[in-house]
Formats: sequence, C-alpha cells, structure tokens
Amino acid sequence: MTAESGTARRPMLAALPRFSQQINRVLTWVVVGLFVVWVVGNFINAPKQFVSVFLLGVTLGSIYALVALGYTLVYGIIELINFAHGDVFMWGSMIAVTVSAHWLGLDGSQGWYVTAPLIFVTLLACIAFCGTLNVAIERLAYRPLRNAPKLAPLITAIGMSFILQNAGALVYGFIEQPVPDIFPTKPLFRIGGIAYTQKSLLIVLITIPVLLALVYLVRSTRQGKAMRAVAQDMDASRMMGIDVDRTIAFTFALGGALAGAAGLLFVMYQTSTRYDLGFQLGLFAFTAAVLGGIGNLTGAAFGALLIGLIQAFNEGLSWHTPGSSWTQSVIFSILILVLVFRPQGLLGEAVSDRA
Amino acid sequence: MAGDLLTARAVRKEFGGLVACSDVDFTVPQGGIVSLIGPNGAGKTTFFNMLTGVYTPTSGEVTFDGHEVVGLPPHAVTQLGVGRTFQNIRLFPTMTGLENVLVGMHARLKGGIFRSILRTPGLRREEREAADRARELLRYCGLPREAEHTYAMNLSYGDQRRLEVARALGTEPKLLLLDEPTAGMNPQESAEFTSFVGRMRDERGLSILMIEHDMKVVMGISERVTVLDHGEKIAEGTPGEIQKDERVIEAYLGSAATADNGDGGLLE
Amino acid sequence: MSGRTGALGDAWARLPKRVRALALPVTVLLLVVLYPNYYQDVFNALGGGVTGQLAPTVPTMVVMCVYVIMALGLNVVVGYAGLLDLGYVAFYAAGAYIAGWFATLQFAPHKVHFLSVGVLPVLPGLHVNVWLLLIVGAVFATILGIIIGLPTLRLRGDYLAIVTLGFGEIIPQAVNNGDDWFGHNVTNGPNGLTPIDSLGFGVTIHKTFSFLPSSYRLEINSADYYYWTGVALVLFTLFCCIRLRDSRLGRAWVAIREDEIAAAAMGVPLMRTKTWAYAIGAFFGGAAGCFYAIFKSSTFPQDFSLNISIAVLCMVILGGMGNVWGVCLGGAVLAYLNYQGLEAVGNNLNHYAGTNLNIPQYTFGIFGIIIVAMMLIRPQGLIPTARRKIELEAGVEGGSLYDAAA
Repeated sequence: MTAESGTARRPMLAALPRFSQQINRVLTWVVVGLFVVWVVGNFINAPKQFVSVFLLGVTLGSIYALVALGYTLVYGIIELINFAHGDVFMWGSMIAVTVSAHWLGLDGSQGWYVTAPLIFVTLLACIAFCGTLNVAIERLAYRPLRNAPKLAPLITAIGMSFILQNAGALVYGFIEQPVPDIFPTKPLFRIGGIAYTQKSLLIVLITIPVLLALVYLVRSTRQGKAMRAVAQDMDASRMMGIDVDRTIAFTFALGGALAGAAGLLFVMYQTSTRYDLGFQLGLFAFTAAVLGGIGNLTGAAFGALLIGLIQAFNEGLSWHTPGSSWTQSVIFSILILVLVFRPQGLLGEAVSDRA
Repeated sequence: MAGDLLTARAVRKEFGGLVACSDVDFTVPQGGIVSLIGPNGAGKTTFFNMLTGVYTPTSGEVTFDGHEVVGLPPHAVTQLGVGRTFQNIRLFPTMTGLENVLVGMHARLKGGIFRSILRTPGLRREEREAADRARELLRYCGLPREAEHTYAMNLSYGDQRRLEVARALGTEPKLLLLDEPTAGMNPQESAEFTSFVGRMRDERGLSILMIEHDMKVVMGISERVTVLDHGEKIAEGTPGEIQKDERVIEAYLGSAATADNGDGGLLE
Repeated sequence: MSGRTGALGDAWARLPKRVRALALPVTVLLLVVLYPNYYQDVFNALGGGVTGQLAPTVPTMVVMCVYVIMALGLNVVVGYAGLLDLGYVAFYAAGAYIAGWFATLQFAPHKVHFLSVGVLPVLPGLHVNVWLLLIVGAVFATILGIIIGLPTLRLRGDYLAIVTLGFGEIIPQAVNNGDDWFGHNVTNGPNGLTPIDSLGFGVTIHKTFSFLPSSYRLEINSADYYYWTGVALVLFTLFCCIRLRDSRLGRAWVAIREDEIAAAAMGVPLMRTKTWAYAIGAFFGGAAGCFYAIFKSSTFPQDFSLNISIAVLCMVILGGMGNVWGVCLGGAVLAYLNYQGLEAVGNNLNHYAGTNLNIPQYTFGIFGIIIVAMMLIRPQGLIPTARRKIELEAGVEGGSLYDAAA
C-alpha cells in the first residue's frame, strides 16, 4: 500500500488495497510452490542424502522449537520481542557444560545408569538457572517499562542481550567451551554413508514430551488460562482478580526453562558452545516463531521444524542451494518476507483479535 | 443528486463474521448539518471510519465531492476536503496548540525538503502566513491566547475539544465530521458549542456531519438525523420526525425515556 | 559566561543580544576546529605517557565526526519520526562500498578516471572524484533506504525493528560473499577493498591556493585535513537536521510519532513522510560510511556488523532522542570510548592498579549497560528535548493505523 498521492483523483489508487491483498495471496503461494519444487528437486537429485539431511534438520528444528516457544510465549503475553532470550539460551548451554562436565565429571565413559540421572540433574540445573535469570531480567529491565512507549522495552531488550553476552564472555572467556560426547553416539542406522546417531534421536525424543506438556499447561491448567487472559487484556484480567505481574513472571520463567533445556540439548548435540552464539540462534528461533504465527504455540513448533529443515537443506544439499555461507541471509529473508507479506504467519489467522 | 456533498451507497463492513455496518445509504447535502445517532455499538464510529478512509468498506461506495473515496488512504480523503475530530480526543499531546493546527494544515502547505533546508524566502512567507492563519483559527474556536504556546496535553478538557476542531479546520475541509464533540461538556458549554457549529457552517460554508449523544445538541441544530442500530439504518428524517419514530424509541428503550425529557437525552 | 568583575560584566551586557547569543557556539566551534593545534598540549597537560592516552588523538576525532554524522542521521529516523531502525549499518555499508568501487583498483583491467584528484593518471581501475563520491555514496544509500523502506515502513514499530535488523544482517553477509556473485568478484569478499583514493583538491587548485593540499594523504598532518573535512560534514548535517526539525516535514514526523491515526486524519501521508525520514537518515549514513572508508582507505565486510547499528542507536539514546545537541554529545562520547577511551582507561588501570583487564573486549557489554540504564533511569537522554521528556514520562503512545485497519 504505497500511499503516494498528491491529488486523490486516481482510480488506480482506490483499487490498491484489494489488489495488493490479491498479490499477497498469489505471492505467498508462488513462494510456497517454489519451496516445494526446490525440496522435491533435491529429493530426486540425491534421495539418500536428502533423507539424512532431513533427519538432521528435524533434530535442529527440535532445538529451535524449544527456543522459539520462549519467544512466542513472551510475545504472546506482553508483545515484546525479547532479544535477550537467545542469550538466556546461551547461558543454558554454558551451565550445562559447567554442571555436566566440570562438576559431575561426565565424559561419556560412564554407563547409561550413571549418565541418565546425572544428565537429568544437569537439566534441572539449567532449567532452574535460566528460568530464574529470565524472571530476573523481566523484573529488573522490562517491568518498570510496562507503561512506557512500546519501543522502550524493545531497546532495553537489545541492551540486555549485549549485557548477557558479555557477561558470558567474562565468565567463560571468548573461546569455544568444549564438552565431551556425553550422549550416546552409536549410529542407529546409515543412509548414504551418513550415520544417524542415538543422540540425534534422543534430542527429538526429549523435545516432544516437553512440547506436549507445554501445550497442556497453557491450554488446560489454571495458570495457563490466566496467561491467556492476560494476553487478551491485561486490565480486564487484573479486574477479574488475576495477579498480572505473577502471571507474566511465570511466563518468563517458563520461557527461560525451555531455553535452559534447549541449551543443554544443543551443547550435548554440538559438543561445544560460545558466548556469542545466542544472539543469532535466537534470531533464527524468532524467525521460526514469526513463520508459524507469533503467539501461536503449535505454530512456533511447526515454524521451528521448518527453519531447522531449511537450514539443514541449505547446508547439506546440493541442488540449487546457496550453501552455508548464505544461511543467515536465507533465514532473514524468510523473516522479512513473512513479516511484510504475511505477518500473521503460516498458521496464524487474522491478527486483529488482539489489538 | 446534485446538491449532495457526500453520498454513501449500500456501505457494508464486516469484521470476521460480525456485520458492523449493514448496507447503509446516507447523504450529506451541501451546506447541511446532519447528525448520526444510535445506541452504543450501533456502528456509528465504524461508519465514520469508512467515510474517512481508516477502514475500507467490505462493499458499497462512498462519493465525496465527485470523487470515489473507498480505498483511498485517510490522508488522501482529508486532502479532498474531509476534516474530522475524534471521539476520544487524539491531539498530538506534546505539540503546542499552534503546532497542532499547523499539522492540520499539512496538506495545504507546500514546503518541501530542499526548500525547508534552504529556508527560501517563499517558504518563510508560507510558514509565516500559515502560522497567522493557525492563530486566527485558534481564536475563532475560542481558545485562549496562551493555548498557542501550551502543549496540548496541558490544556483544559474543553480547550482540547476546541483545539480538535481548530486542527480539523486547519485541513480546510468542505465537510467537517465531528465525533461526539460535546462529550464531557457541561450543559452551558454544550449550548455554546451548538451555536458555534451553526456559526461555522454559516461563516465558513462548511457542511457538517456529527455523531452526538446529547439530544439537545442534536435536535437543536440538525437539519436531518439518521439513526443507526446494530449496524442498520432504522430511521432518517427531520429531528421532529425522529423524535416520534416508533423504531427509534424502541431502539433506545431500556436505556432511557424519550427524546423530549431534556438534557440527559436518549442515552444517558 | 559573563566576566566576573563588574566592568567586564557591564561591557558584556552592553553587547548586542545577537552577539551574546553567538558567543558560546562560536567559542565551542573554535575549540573544536583548532583541536589539532592544541592536541599536544592536552596530551602534555594530562601528564603524557599512559594518562596522555586519554586525550583523543586527531584520528580518533575523525572517527568521532563520522559517528556523530551517523548518529544525527539515525536521530532523524528514531528521534524525529519514532521509527526504530536496527539495520542502520546497511546504509553505512552502501556509502563505504561506493567509495570502494569507484576509487580503487577493484575493477583494474578497466581504467576510467573522472575528475579524479590526487591520483596518478596512469593508475588502472575506476577513479571518480572522491568529493563527488561522497555525494554519490549518500544518494546511493538514500535510494537503498527508499527501496528497503517502501515495503517495510507500513509495518508496526517492533516488526519494523526486526525487519531492519534482518536487512542489517543480510547486507554484510551478501558483501562478504560478494567475491563470487554468480562468478563475478564484485566486493572482493572478506579481503575488502583497499586502497581507496584520498580526499584532496588536485594539483591545479593546490598551485593557486597552497593551503589546499592536492591529496590529504601526501601531507604530513593528513589526519588534520580529514578532521577539518569531518567537522565541516558534521556542521552540514547539523544544519540540515535543525532546519528539517523546524519544518513542515519535521512537524509531520512528530505528529506521526505521537499518533499515527490522528496524523493521517489531518492529511499527513504516512508512507511518504516515513519514507522521507528513512531516506534522510540513510543519506547521512551513506555519507558517513563513504567518508570513513576514504579516511581509512579501505572497507571490509567486518566493518558492518550489527554492533555498529546498536552502537549508533546507543549514541542517540544516550544523548537524548530527538535533540541534535544531545545526539552530537552522545555520538562523540561513545565513539571516543569505542575507539580510544576504553582502551586508554584499561591501560591506565592496568598500569597504575596493576590489573590485567582487556576492557575494549567488553565495549558492547558496556554499551548494553548504558542502553538499559538510560532506558530505566533517564529515558529522555542526557540532553532531552522538552517534548520527548514528557512523552517518555507520561507514556504517550499512538497506535498504528494499520493495526486498526487490519
């Protein structure tokens, strides 16, 4: 809708809004169509490679999903893009390294009956740390700005992100933090010479119940109902006796906990982490949340899977793929295109239910 | 219809499945004062928003002064000559009274970016004349002299309402839309405002369309009244006809008595 | 300002009002312009050696000029029009690469000279007059700004922020991979473009006016010339920003920032007005990028990270959104800290307190702290405009028109 009119006597202009809606719809389908062609093309080109890359993408997508849910939860409730979320995730991965490798001394040599419970302890530590961290950020940096102009908390979130990142560097240094292979790495099967390992499967298997539990929590519990009420109308919720501050804090805790879990899974999968990986991974996850329709839990998980697959395809396949040096551009292009042409996301309906 | 400044034909607006405005026909004659009334949620403001380009109607057409309005962005509608005020005052809170009116004049001024940087003599003259006209408008609308330099948010409620009108006049409208202009005014202020509306029409050659709840104002000044209820037009006519209309009385029943009983009006 | 003794005070009071009003700005300007002449004194006054490092060197002052120009440009977008742009660095890159393409050996087999000054006529590659390039770079950035702005400026505030951030990340990557765009080496990739021609006035002018050097880089005190050029550019930017602020367009920006719906209803074309803000911001960003690339005689994709966008945003916030003087101060202070100050402070600490810190590594953490602290404690900035102060304290906010119309 370019509204460039000196005098308004142009019939073209009058038709523009409806016209541009049509264009939007057509463009959406064209892009989706091209994407399908590209995927199918790649499958035909190298089917075995495609399947193994696909499985890799699913694992990647699972991790993104956990992070994306944190963005979507927070955005859903206070309409804030929490830039610091990716860095909370980074801290989760750091804590996972500290607890599992340094404190508990896990290095993959122990039997599963030792590893499994200790990993569970690490998971609890990550969840507790990141949940607390996220709540603290909300309390200190966002809550005082709740009635300020909307851009104020957004700018603050960017600042928080930089603070967390540098705090990470201060504690852990500017270099990679390695961790031994703690998850079992035995190949389950091989496709086209590439092994699908147990740890890849484990990550997916851990993610799915977490997602289901989250959906249950938000859809069916009392706390979840309070969250949805606050998301709809903060003032009305307050009048109905909902403790708005507590509900928002709970949402941040939940988001932080998910980021903590994601941090653990990520570092177990990649076997290293770095102080600055949170920002970009966070933005990828945010793209996933936007792609699925921000504020929509199933959408975020779906979007994350899609982003994971796109990244894996781009980096692992060969038929008309830009390659890994373009991953960032590809994903941000998706972000821009979705926001410009379909801000409600792929699964979202019209956004007007929350004004 | 030759004498009509604004014509709306079968205008309809749906939000999702909800019909906010259902096939309304409506006209404002040149130089007329027309009122739009109806209970809360009757679709009056939605209708206003369609006339001013904020909403695009789902179907139907709106013609203003020989131009099709549907699909035009709000600023283009304003440029055609439709000025408006808002139900819940929407001044620019940290701009002075004078600046508010100058923003209203935006479309009527020409100062472009390069002339602004160079501040050419022509531009300076334009700005000076605009400021003079804006001051004149402030005084015309009954704002005190100091309102010129006061931030809009620091003006009294009544002055804010008056500033909204001054700002709308700054757009040099042919048709002025007033959305509940006397809301929150006391009876005396309302009476003053009523006569001011008549004066504006006569002195500035405006046509006026207003949404109003205060029946004293509506009946006192309107030449024609249209009643909306649940998005439908249920009656139209002179104030006298409307006061006697069965459907209108029915639409308002439960909330108040008839139109005759003075200042509370139908709604209060 | 006025003298302490009665006689001097009287004399001061007798001066015409205009003269008195000009006294402060003229003094500041003189101090700024003459800085290279007394830098050594400042250095010595601070005790030389390690503490002397705290005195900004002339090259640091050039960088400060560059950042002040960028901050003033971003201020038009963020401070005047209220649009959060997190990808401002894209325009900086556009300007820098214009200099890189049209004043280096990059396209070496070809040899085109156009009014080039201070360049050997036999040099291959494209060599366009660098003064002209400053304008071309700015205009190119403006066009880029309009192209980015047209589809995105109708988005609501936070979406716009994230979309601009996306562009800010895509453009450096595209440049970084630009050594192989469909088989063409366009940007020379991570190796960047260098050397870029120097500013100068050419031999002809130099012969007539010997104080105008034919090429800055050939002069012993070349940084001084860049600095004075930088100051001139800052003054030009300031002039434009102030004039625009007080214009019809400036009023429209404030109106849009405060209430989009009301602004549109008053006849302000939203898209066009926002695009103008974006374009003007881009113009100065491009000019700054071009000037900086010429000054360093190089441009690399690494120069255009998100951090730069955030740093410039931080300058605007620290100084006071919308206030040109505050933004100048914010830009100068933070650019100084970024390029010299923090390192100097760290060296002093390490030298005198015996610590072993590498403070510059944490520059952006420190910027983060500044951003958060400012937003929480003093959101109106160090030197606020009266308007912004009220807005931020009273929490004025206008919804987006397109939300309501969705």
